[in-house]
Amino acid sequence: MNRNIARAVAAVVAAVAVALPAFAGAYPLQVARNVMMYMALAITWDMLLRSGQISFGIAGLFGLGAYAAILGVVRGGMPVWLSIPFAAVVAAAAAFLLGFLILRLRAMYFSIVTLALAEMFRIVIHNLHDFTGGPEGIVMPAGVIFGGNAAALYWLTLAGLAVALAASWWFEKSRIRFALTAIGNNEISASSSGVNIFRWLLVAFTVTSGIQGLLGGIYVQSYGFATPDGVFSADFTLLPLAMALLGGMHGTVGPVLGAVLLGLVSEWLKLKIPYGHLIVYGIIIIIVILFMPAGILGLARKMSRGAEGGKS
Amino acid sequence: MTKLSTTDLLCRFSGLVAVNKVSFAMDEGEILGIIGPNGAGKTTFINLVSGIIMPTAGRIEYKGRDITYLPAHERARMGIARTYQLIHPLENLSLVENVMVGAIFAQGQGLKTARRTAEELCEELGLSDVDRDTARLSILETKKMEIARALANDPEVLFLDEVMAGLNADETHDLIATIRRIAVERRLAVGVVEHVMGVIRELTHRVIVLEAGELIAEGPYDEVSRNPRVIEAYLGGAA
Ligand SMILES: Nc1ncnc2c1ncn2[C@@H]1O[C@H](COP(=O)(O)OP(=O)(O)OP(=O)(O)O)[C@@H](O)[C@H]1O
Ligand SMILES: [Mg+2]
Repeated sequence: MNRNIARAVAAVVAAVAVALPAFAGAYPLQVARNVMMYMALAITWDMLLRSGQISFGIAGLFGLGAYAAILGVVRGGMPVWLSIPFAAVVAAAAAFLLGFLILRLRAMYFSIVTLALAEMFRIVIHNLHDFTGGPEGIVMPAGVIFGGNAAALYWLTLAGLAVALAASWWFEKSRIRFALTAIGNNEISASSSGVNIFRWLLVAFTVTSGIQGLLGGIYVQSYGFATPDGVFSADFTLLPLAMALLGGMHGTVGPVLGAVLLGLVSEWLKLKIPYGHLIVYGIIIIIVILFMPAGILGLARKMSRGAEGGKS
Repeated sequence: MTKLSTTDLLCRFSGLVAVNKVSFAMDEGEILGIIGPNGAGKTTFINLVSGIIMPTAGRIEYKGRDITYLPAHERARMGIARTYQLIHPLENLSLVENVMVGAIFAQGQGLKTARRTAEELCEELGLSDVDRDTARLSILETKKMEIARALANDPEVLFLDEVMAGLNADETHDLIATIRRIAVERRLAVGVVEHVMGVIRELTHRVIVLEAGELIAEGPYDEVSRNPRVIEAYLGGAA
């Protein structure tokens, strides 16, 4: 019953999302693209978080994917469509290899190293001037993908979001959920139940990083150029994190909810007070951590449980 | 038939020798008590044989195979299971899902099969309403869930680290009967750590006594409990 309602709602939302370009103008489509991009990043961040590992490296893999896509075309002569899956492969491969080094680390140490890696990617690209274009960035000679058609660009980002949603759903419905939840709860007891901790962390890190790279590829082809400061911007780490925190962690719905709310609020704030939106994110993160650590979803669950208790 | 054995097993934590050259063997179908005063090294010993920590020296053999440095998850798959002195149910997973973890990863079952395995284990241990949140379990139910989680590995050797702690007399009897039943039905070798000697007397065929990491006595409980060195160790521990 409840599940049928949820399915119906999801189907309607999906239909509206696909059909949006038919009745929305260029500006709302642009806003929707932004929200969907951050939503997808928030989902991937949460997917790894389910194992207890907090990554601060989203921008690093996003930026790496962005540069992989644009350099694949400009230096490698790759067709533009191929450059987007190529971005995913490069980011996933980088995460897979780096995983052997950094997935032995835990808690703060893991977080700090992911942050450092992101910065390292940026600095390397910044300094490989001849290959990457250096600090001034690099431009797609053919310009924006699909000739900049607003509807097509919207659908491209929607496809990126669909990949993140599908992966998150797979993480929730398969044995990966059991592996990551067991690891996140207690690694020692997880290993006593036969969970190969490193292996599952490597799977989660590689998959989420690959999607982050894919999104970077989509982003860069949607704008037709990349600069190190642009695609490695801390926004790509902090906003998804704030969205997942606000909506509620450890599931698909929380980050989606947080992204819609925070994404729309930030669009509105950007118009009212340029750069002021960053301060608002900071305030939201602090308020959420202090007063509702389980996010909006957690608060809703607590309230519905309270109502149940009152009845019985 | 010997299932698990150690030879001169040694574990040193910086200065402290927590397990000192312990040699022992455990047979199929045997319930072995592991006793000793607080800090004697009982939990450390279980950590060593289950692969949670690696020994400083010595050798561990399981069914004739050297497993001294094998990682814990591989030992779990081979059939070594254990419970923890401090129980931590997995949050965000229901009772039956907690039990499923071992069936999925130690036995390699698919989710559907694992769920059936876990449901059967819950029933076997008298745990009903398996979709419950683990926060709603009583102490006895939590202990049974912990045992069910270990059994989900389909083990041949099972270690129980103070599973009776915190239970009243009736619950203790209930659990003793349960453990004996599953041990017989599955022909398990069971290692039981308990501080309550009544439980050890009732449940075990044989005990080993650890004191300051050393194995100081071995034999049936009634014999060992009269051993002057054992009495000394416990009095020394109490004083
Ligand atoms: N990881 C560790 N690092 C350092 N010392 C440790 C570690 N684990 C245990 N010890 C020490 O090793 C000794 C044996 O501890 P252990 O927990 O094995 O005792 P125990 O027999 O299980 O005691 P209890 O009956 O209280 O559970 C103790 O002195 C303890 O402080
Ligand atoms: Mg102990």
